[in-house]
Amino acid sequence: MTRDPEILILGAGPAGLGAALALATCGVEALIVDSGSAAGGQVYRPLPGAFEPGDASGLGPDYREGERQRRLLADSGAGTAFGRLVWSIGTDLRVDALGPEGPESWRPKGIVAAAGATERVVPFPGWTLPGVMGLAAATILLKSQCVLPGERVLVAGCGPLLFAVANAIRKGGGQVVAVADLAGPGAWLHALPALLGQPRDLLRGASWMARLRAQGVPLLFRHGVREARAAGAGLEVSLGAVDAAGRPIPSASEKTLEADSLVVGHGLIPATEAVRLLGAEVVFDADAGGWVPRLDRDQRSSRAGLYAAGDGAGVRGAAAAFLAGRIAGMTAALDLGRIDAGHHARATAPLRRRLARARRFGRAMARLMAQRPGQVDGIAGDTVVCRCEDVTRAEVEAALERGAADVNQLKSWTRCGMGPCQGRMCGDTVGQIVAARTGSREAAGAWTARAPLRPLGVDALAGDFDYADIPLPAAAPL
Amino acid sequence: MAQIPVGEPYDAAVVGAGVMGATTALFLARGGMRCALIDAGGVCREASGVNAGTLTLHMTRAALIPYAMRGWEMWKAAPDWLGGDPGVTVTDGLSLAFTAQEAALLEARVEARRAQGAPIEIIATSRARAIEPGLTDRFRLAAHCPMDGYVTANLTGMAYRRALVEAGVRLYENAPVTGIEAGDGGFRLAMAGAAPRARRLVLASGVWLEEMLAWFGLRIRIKALVNQLIVTERLRPVMRSVLGVASGLLSLKQFANGTVLIGGGWQGKGDRARRTTEIVPDNLIGNLRLARYVVPALAETRIVRSWLGFEAETDDALPIAGPLGGIPEAYVIGCVHSGYMSGPYFGRLLAQNILGQAPELPLFDADRLLVAPSCT
Amino acid sequence: MPLRIANQVRRGPAVTLWVDGQALDAFAGESLAAALLAAGRRALRQSSRAGTPRGVFCMMGACQECLVRVDGKRALACQVAVCDGMRVETGAAG
Ligand SMILES: Cc1cc2nc3c(=O)[nH]c(=O)nc-3n(C[C@H](O)[C@H](O)[C@H](O)COP(=O)(O)OP(=O)(O)OC[C@H]3O[C@@H](n4cnc5c(N)ncnc54)[C@H](O)[C@@H]3O)c2cc1C
Ligand SMILES: Cc1cc2nc3c(=O)[nH]c(=O)nc-3n(C[C@H](O)[C@H](O)[C@H](O)COP(=O)(O)OP(=O)(O)OC[C@H]3O[C@@H](n4cnc5c(N)ncnc54)[C@H](O)[C@@H]3O)c2cc1C
Repeated sequence: MTRDPEILILGAGPAGLGAALALATCGVEALIVDSGSAAGGQVYRPLPGAFEPGDASGLGPDYREGERQRRLLADSGAGTAFGRLVWSIGTDLRVDALGPEGPESWRPKGIVAAAGATERVVPFPGWTLPGVMGLAAATILLKSQCVLPGERVLVAGCGPLLFAVANAIRKGGGQVVAVADLAGPGAWLHALPALLGQPRDLLRGASWMARLRAQGVPLLFRHGVREARAAGAGLEVSLGAVDAAGRPIPSASEKTLEADSLVVGHGLIPATEAVRLLGAEVVFDADAGGWVPRLDRDQRSSRAGLYAAGDGAGVRGAAAAFLAGRIAGMTAALDLGRIDAGHHARATAPLRRRLARARRFGRAMARLMAQRPGQVDGIAGDTVVCRCEDVTRAEVEAALERGAADVNQLKSWTRCGMGPCQGRMCGDTVGQIVAARTGSREAAGAWTARAPLRPLGVDALAGDFDYADIPLPAAAPL
Repeated sequence: MAQIPVGEPYDAAVVGAGVMGATTALFLARGGMRCALIDAGGVCREASGVNAGTLTLHMTRAALIPYAMRGWEMWKAAPDWLGGDPGVTVTDGLSLAFTAQEAALLEARVEARRAQGAPIEIIATSRARAIEPGLTDRFRLAAHCPMDGYVTANLTGMAYRRALVEAGVRLYENAPVTGIEAGDGGFRLAMAGAAPRARRLVLASGVWLEEMLAWFGLRIRIKALVNQLIVTERLRPVMRSVLGVASGLLSLKQFANGTVLIGGGWQGKGDRARRTTEIVPDNLIGNLRLARYVVPALAETRIVRSWLGFEAETDDALPIAGPLGGIPEAYVIGCVHSGYMSGPYFGRLLAQNILGQAPELPLFDADRLLVAPSCT
Repeated sequence: MPLRIANQVRRGPAVTLWVDGQALDAFAGESLAAALLAAGRRALRQSSRAGTPRGVFCMMGACQECLVRVDGKRALACQVAVCDGMRVETGAAG
């Protein structure tokens, strides 16, 4: 076990990295903990250990940025604990992790939560079939593993990843059967002013779309997946038009395409389990992806000693994550008394200016990826919404009919959200289904966060022990 | 549901919709009373909805064995009186000892419980393994009880809620009672949006009884235990019985869906006023080790979740259930160890008492626990 | 068509895994999920209640759909780096 750091950073994506670098400049002992094998998080994932970049241009700018960030972290002197899954955080700020050497724990004075996001896929019939995978998931496969999700891939969903993924598949030698975007081309125009703040990203996005068009890839705007069916070794996917709220238009004709794989994603959802475990206040912000911690302008949560930054505090993208992480780090140093208010203000002022720009861009992107209530509303009764427990929408509605008043009561009665994914895959959808009855997401509530933050092997957690090593409390009274 | 004219008092108001209050209200309504059931949250969402659901006599306080046995019979027959499908499984229960000291403890406890009528007996280790092939072979002594089993506690609220509504009980959910006024001919409950009145009052608010009794100037210490539970993901069938240990620190069972629930009263942390709880990681690991020691095959699986709930305990670890001395028509029910198992019976017993029938077994007077008010 | 993209990277040394007793070629360090997909092994388990086939879905250790047994222990294919001789059993749940 490494000794207790002053600040523990959960997550080594751009947000956590920003915090670590800022803390290092203030001489604060920080430890960055991540379940991955190296820093980078989701956008800047490293290549597997034994891989070497070949034609580096093929790997793209994200890879180079990741390498740069990993070098910065190594040079900063911040402590790192990779391969450690954080499974519990107590209100006394004790952090428990499970790693290759078994359980470990730390008692820092403060915690920066930078746990990133998970992907949202709104259910449709067939979304559980092998061969159907997330859009963000496909980026990992493509960027960090250099493996195509399939030979002939249908790319569907919404948000900027659609075109990035379609383009990467083409570049890697795969075929893109079509790109189906829930948004209309107008939505992209709408986002334009905000996107102009980040011309480089804008250019990338625009060039992806143009290139796909030039290559003759059908781009279907305002279209969603109606159903995926297994067909031979591949899939048969029906697509249909949707309205502005994402609701399928019943009268619209369906188009059926064949593909090896369907890559589909509807945005990102902030990972707030750690924040909620500590009882910090969260608020629902649809444009930021869902439930987010309530933060002050210096990234402090409502709980003393807990800071949050990055997509886990509201989906705003990697650039914003890095800057917000740096502000969080400076604030933690301020609260520890290691820098004074003047220093904090001077150091954060330029970051805030850049952050405002990055956030404008991020918000525009996030809005394209926000949940479309009409899409949830359109889920058919016999569609599985909870993958782990195979709970259908009709079963959810039946429990609501019987009086389940919020997501947690619904969970008790139906097992929806009780499986090993711990409600990560269905939570956002179910929250919306319940909200349709309760009137708001706030009234529908959010899953109660509990340890372990991910499923843990009994063997790994219990370790090797004898009976005498079990710390038995006193016997219960007779 | 019977419509209550505005201003007309209920025959009875029950505060707290855990298994104690909900059963009391159910049988009062079936006994002909117009009854209101009020809860700060929903029906059976605190201890009564998050407990381990074990129906075991191995861990029941010796003095409560007769009540628990009747509770067990009621759960077994739940479809008849509760309806719905609360997920009751009847199976064998084993309690184990691993050290000489624990073996002595087990023998003494078996003796005390048998004296109260529990059909528990010490059995040969070979027989224990025949009953439960999933067991480790490292135990020294085992006790067996054929009267054991479990309920899927998370379904309790769903079953009770339907039964209550059908019986005509008026439910007030998400309605914390903030004060109770006793006056001529009844009680008035203070809560947001409504102020129901009732001729009779039943306090059934679990660990929050301490606070509520204090409203009437009655000071009774009620400890809030914060019990932790752990559940695994689905696993091939590795056990078929309910397993415990002599000290009472383990309760282990595998549900039909393959998940294994691990409990035994290992303590977490909690704040009953704010209703927040959290695990103590070392206790989670300790509980997990004990479970894995008893059923080695658990090593194959993963834990998916832990959670906690508040259990009420009085100074003598025995219940309070019956009329509240000095306050006519006020009753209390709670602090029953193994209270989920015994809850239906205690609730019915109190309802019988309120309805003027002679109770089958004695109730538990709260007066014995009154703390003398400090003179000011 | 091979799903592994050429040129972008030089992969690690070639290794052999044993998946349900059958040899499967992969590269050291590669994610097990990627190696299985590249070999066309898409269905990895069945859902616990309805028994429908499931495979790699989120690639980030969240959805738990790619649960397999690696050298006897439950593990997520997307969170495991392959090494030579690794033994993998699919259909791990239950
Ligand atoms: C699967 C996926 C793919 C994405 N691909 C792209 C892309 O290609 N391009 C793009 O612009 N954006 C992409 N995004 C969005 C992108 O992740 C964010 O904008 C950016 O990475 C946010 O940075 P962050 O530091 O907030 O979080 P992340 O980069 O997600 O970092 C969070 C880190 O926390 C770690 N972590 C979380 N919980 C725990 C725990 N309990 N224990 C230990 N470690 C933990 C994770 O392992 C991760 O490394 C993707 C998002 C996802 C979910
Ligand atoms: C984790 C755990 C595991 C357990 N395992 C078992 C087991 O395996 N077997 C067994 O037999 N027993 C078990 N028990 C004990 C058992 O759960 C309890 O004895 C039993 O459920 C108590 O029921 P109750 O109705 O008295 O209290 P509760 O179920 O706690 O109900 C009290 C109700 O009062 C309400 N309330 C409180 N204050 C107010 C207010 N101001 N206004 C309105 N409503 C209010 C609460 O919201 C709550 O719903 C366990 C307990 C716990 C916590």
